[in-house]
Amino acid sequence: MGCSGVQSALDPAGGDALRIYWLTVIMTVGGTFIFLLVTGLLLYAIFAPPERRSWLGSRRTIVYGGLAFPIVVLSALLPYGLIVMRDTDVPVPGALPVEVVGEQYWWRVKYPAEQERAEFSTANELVVPVGRPVTVSVTAADVIHSFWIPNFGGKIDMIPGRINRLTFTAERPGVYRGVCAEFCGDQHARMAFDVVAMEPAAFETWRAGQARPAQDPAIPFLARGRELFRAGGCGSCHVVRGTEANGQFGPDLTHVGSRRTIGAGQFPNNVGTLAGWIANTQHIKPGVRMPSYGSFTGEDLRALAGYLESLK
Amino acid sequence: MTGRRTGQVLLMLAGLLAWAVQFTVIYGATSTLCSRQWADTTFLGIGLVQAVVLVTTLAALTATALALTWSLRTYRRLPEQAPPADLFMSQAGALTGGLSLIAIVWQGLPAFILPACA
Amino acid sequence: MNLPERPGSFELPEPDPPNPLPRPKGEFEALKRAWKAPRGISFITAVNNTYVGLWYVGTAFLFFILAGILALIMRAQLAAPESDLVRHDLYNQLFTMHGTVMMFLFAVPAVEAASVYLLPNMQAARDLPFPRLSAYAFWAYFVGGLVFFGTIFFGLSPNGGWFMYPPLTGSKYSPAENADWWLLGIGFIEISAIAGAIEIIVGVMKTRAVGMSLDKLPVYSWAMLVFAVMIVIGFPAIILGTLLLEMERAFDWPFFIAERGGDPLLWQHLFWFFGHPEVYIIFLPATGMVSMIVPAMAQTPLVGYRLIVLALIATGFLSFGLWVHHMFATGLPKMSLSFFSAASTAVAVPSGIQVFAWIATIASGRMKLTTPSLFIIGFLFIFTLGGLTGVMVAMAPFDWQAHDSYFVVAHLHYVLIGGMVFPLFAAFYYWVPVASKRALSERLGRWVFGLMFLGVNVTFLPMHVTGLIGMPRRVYTYPVGMGWDALNLVSTIGAFMIAAGVAVFLVDLARNFRFASEDNAGNVWNAGTLEWLPNGNYATRSIPSVISRDPLWDQPNLPKDVEDGRYYLPGTATGGREALVTSPFDARPQYILQIPGPGWQPVLAAVFTAAFFLLLTVKFVLTSVICGVLAIGCVIWWLWETDPGPVRPPADIGGGIVVPVYVTGPMNHSWWAMIVLMVVSGMVFTCLIFSYLFLWLVNPGAWPPQGVDLPERYWPLVSAALYIVSAALIALASRTLRGDDRRSPRSVPALIAVALPFVAGASAADLWAQWQSGLSPSTHAYGAAVYAVVSLQIFFVLTTLVMGLYTIARWLAGRLDSIRRTTFDNTMLFWYYTVGQGLVGLAVVHGFPRLTGGL
Repeated sequence: MGCSGVQSALDPAGGDALRIYWLTVIMTVGGTFIFLLVTGLLLYAIFAPPERRSWLGSRRTIVYGGLAFPIVVLSALLPYGLIVMRDTDVPVPGALPVEVVGEQYWWRVKYPAEQERAEFSTANELVVPVGRPVTVSVTAADVIHSFWIPNFGGKIDMIPGRINRLTFTAERPGVYRGVCAEFCGDQHARMAFDVVAMEPAAFETWRAGQARPAQDPAIPFLARGRELFRAGGCGSCHVVRGTEANGQFGPDLTHVGSRRTIGAGQFPNNVGTLAGWIANTQHIKPGVRMPSYGSFTGEDLRALAGYLESLK
Repeated sequence: MTGRRTGQVLLMLAGLLAWAVQFTVIYGATSTLCSRQWADTTFLGIGLVQAVVLVTTLAALTATALALTWSLRTYRRLPEQAPPADLFMSQAGALTGGLSLIAIVWQGLPAFILPACA
Repeated sequence: MNLPERPGSFELPEPDPPNPLPRPKGEFEALKRAWKAPRGISFITAVNNTYVGLWYVGTAFLFFILAGILALIMRAQLAAPESDLVRHDLYNQLFTMHGTVMMFLFAVPAVEAASVYLLPNMQAARDLPFPRLSAYAFWAYFVGGLVFFGTIFFGLSPNGGWFMYPPLTGSKYSPAENADWWLLGIGFIEISAIAGAIEIIVGVMKTRAVGMSLDKLPVYSWAMLVFAVMIVIGFPAIILGTLLLEMERAFDWPFFIAERGGDPLLWQHLFWFFGHPEVYIIFLPATGMVSMIVPAMAQTPLVGYRLIVLALIATGFLSFGLWVHHMFATGLPKMSLSFFSAASTAVAVPSGIQVFAWIATIASGRMKLTTPSLFIIGFLFIFTLGGLTGVMVAMAPFDWQAHDSYFVVAHLHYVLIGGMVFPLFAAFYYWVPVASKRALSERLGRWVFGLMFLGVNVTFLPMHVTGLIGMPRRVYTYPVGMGWDALNLVSTIGAFMIAAGVAVFLVDLARNFRFASEDNAGNVWNAGTLEWLPNGNYATRSIPSVISRDPLWDQPNLPKDVEDGRYYLPGTATGGREALVTSPFDARPQYILQIPGPGWQPVLAAVFTAAFFLLLTVKFVLTSVICGVLAIGCVIWWLWETDPGPVRPPADIGGGIVVPVYVTGPMNHSWWAMIVLMVVSGMVFTCLIFSYLFLWLVNPGAWPPQGVDLPERYWPLVSAALYIVSAALIALASRTLRGDDRRSPRSVPALIAVALPFVAGASAADLWAQWQSGLSPSTHAYGAAVYAVVSLQIFFVLTTLVMGLYTIARWLAGRLDSIRRTTFDNTMLFWYYTVGQGLVGLAVVHGFPRLTGGL
């Protein structure tokens, strides 16, 4: 797998990540050079014959090596670092606004209304168009989380009571992964999300689809699932737009079937994993806010999961 | 500790103290000005934050340069048989001053590269 | 920068020893008798720095092993993805405890412990100036630390990370007692660290060999001085932070709760204002050790002494300008962040100075490749790499990627293991011959070094990559297929290599370490500094006079002359334990300090202090309060024997130098300690005022919030007047207590007795003023901040009351007069401080909101 990956700072897929990548490369190469120089001098000081190494054994060594050399190198590095900082994460007018709220242990994602496009919410998935800057406004509902998509740039903390902004541009279509980078409790390890960068046209299609209410079940088996969803009280925590389910506590499930993963980036999304998740949340991700619903029969569970999976 | 000794210690640490004051003032001022949207004010054509950093940095540099000169002068004027602790402290004062000048310049640098409150 | 050396100032001829031979009969026996260690069960009441220092080092090392075992369990869990070896709840406790124990129970105590052992020996002092304080600090740490660690066996360990960020650690998201264990347990161990720091500052400044002026002070002493000053400045921030968070948890005062005007970032500022200097607090003593070991191994004086001292001091300053680099991702304005980038860059320069000074020293001598040398070389290798990655993370944009990823795990372990653990192992191998009858094994030592050196690099080098390819920190497991599997497996293998190295070290210790108080292995390395003088329980037989930084090299007869008692104070002037106090700059003899010997008081005081905090954690409030009262009682019992007064006329210590056995005023060692304590208190208060102003910044237009009225203007004026009157009364008492006739006028206790109600009334009036205005501490952060200022002041006033009553008691017992007045002086200084703090507090709480007028 090496250095390329869906969650790697060394495989930049956007301008900011690329700028930081080059800063990384330059500092790594320079640092390696300095490291070899220092260890080389140290070994020379130990092992070279006394008459050869005597020039090293004076205060001049400290003044040149320990004082002048670092001052020169750092006087170049510091302004370079500051310039990279100035040019990274710059707010741009006309950027696509997205709001993300970190919650124990998932991500509430909201696309606000933009001109004639309606607003909608989703969860644990960030879809962005290629080439257009995106400004993510982040905060937290409970404890501090941190929003990090390594392929697109640095991280930004999600702090209760504060709204932070991060602007980046995706420049290569593909599927990436973001992750919570600030320890946030029991299941900090299982708090990730998918990031999909699409061509602008595909993005608009996706966006229009997400804004629509949920589709009605096409077959009786799925209708039974919807009934179980209602009777099981799922709607007191979850929204399925277009139905009576309007709970605000958990993730919006209107188009849950269209997402790539479930459980905040944990498992591929299919009927089997959905059923397993519903029945065993506290076993799979102990400490998560959703209780395990272990009392469904296998048949009911399949219907319920099938219904959710059909919500494309 | 007598007054003379206190003075010697302060002179020996003058550069670093100047850096500490500069650091506190510029960080405190930036945070305060930005938190209340007072930073938009301009002053002689440059932003208020930049102006504060510039003035503080120049003041810290001047203070350090003076302390450095004074330490060197003290050192040169001390007699050969002066107590070694006195010689040591005036030398250390000069070295501290030199290093502090660099630190103070670096400390002021960001104001001329980055926007004030973004 | 390149100042010319001044030859001549160091080439003084070796002075003639001041005392003649033969020494009077019985002189040496009296000295030995005074310093004899207690036997049997009373052994634990010993206060000799060599005993307490060794227990202290041993306990710190025990915590290193325990916290290391926690790390091995974590590495075992992370060896493979989706592993089920350790559940998430245990893992979260493991990493919290690993960090907490390594930082608070190993690293800081270990370097403090080593200096309790080494500093007096290196400065040829008989002991530290407050031996019972060291004993107290040790026992408090020993009892508190072991109980704190024990929580891991009951699932009660803190689990919110060693950084304890609220709101996760607030009562809403951590209702259980795990977080309280951290807040009370660690808060109290910090107090032990501060006690040690006060001891070290006074020890370095006041108890040195004669002639060991500032320019001849061992680099280690300089490092410890800077270390102790940094503790005094930095630790109060975390003490205040833990106080605020505990008050929020216990009483619902919303300092960190955003809905009620608090801000989680306030905690981060307080934590990291301590937390970053903490890294250098650990690192500087280690570099001090390196600067002592390198010259001995290369058999040549240290090159660049002044530059190294400059580097130590500069690091001490600059390290306080770095704390926000732990907060680069918190969304603060870029310019604010960049100030910390700049300071983080600047702090690299002093480290560079030190590294090149050691290289220059090695080049100018002939380095023997002994085990200490190997650990020094390993240190330079690992620390240089860690320092370079440190410069990388100082660049904020890079840190936005690296922050809270495994890159930072790699960086911090390179810096801390390289910068502290390796020098400590070098120190073990180097200094064990001082404390043991046998040196440690060179053969085993090479195995220890080899395993640890390889292990550290195998463990942590791959983590740089693991982090950059996206693995976040503090995760109990990770998914398959991220490309992290192999790297993690390698890291786990490396961790067990380190453990194997430490295990070999334990074997070496068991085989070769044999405690010695009189017959140690001696100067096996032919080192040049004073800890290698022949010594016993009484330290050196006589206190040497030194003419250079390497006295044993430049004064070849020194060991013999010192042992024969030809130098200063070869016996005991008062019949008890004594130390020679020297002037802080030129190290001229000033007076003989009578120091207390063994006693149960510090042990019991420490046990009860620990019990107070630990029982409070588990909410046994009544028992806890009883223990607290008992602790104060033990401290008073302990103090009662101090401040002995001039028990005999000034004594001749040799060479015609006659010094008193008791002094008061600014020359007195406890005056210095009181000044340092006032600085500590002042820093706690400053951090509180910073918190107040910070909360103002995050509450625009709501300071005070809607519906809150400030108390009438006359209230603060009444309080201030009461404070000022009380201070004036104490000043008057001080005036009446002057004179060489040992007078002890009745007016002194009377004035103190009158001043007590004034100072108490002042703080009570302020509390009443806030209360009757209807201000609540729990509805908004404003009220919480105001009551925090008022509460802290009440704590200081209560302490002043106890000290005032104690001073009156001393007078009643006939232990206070115009000569023997150290107790009074200490009370007076503290009183002035309390009044000053009270006045500033009034000005801020009543003046600031009026001044800013709702901005």
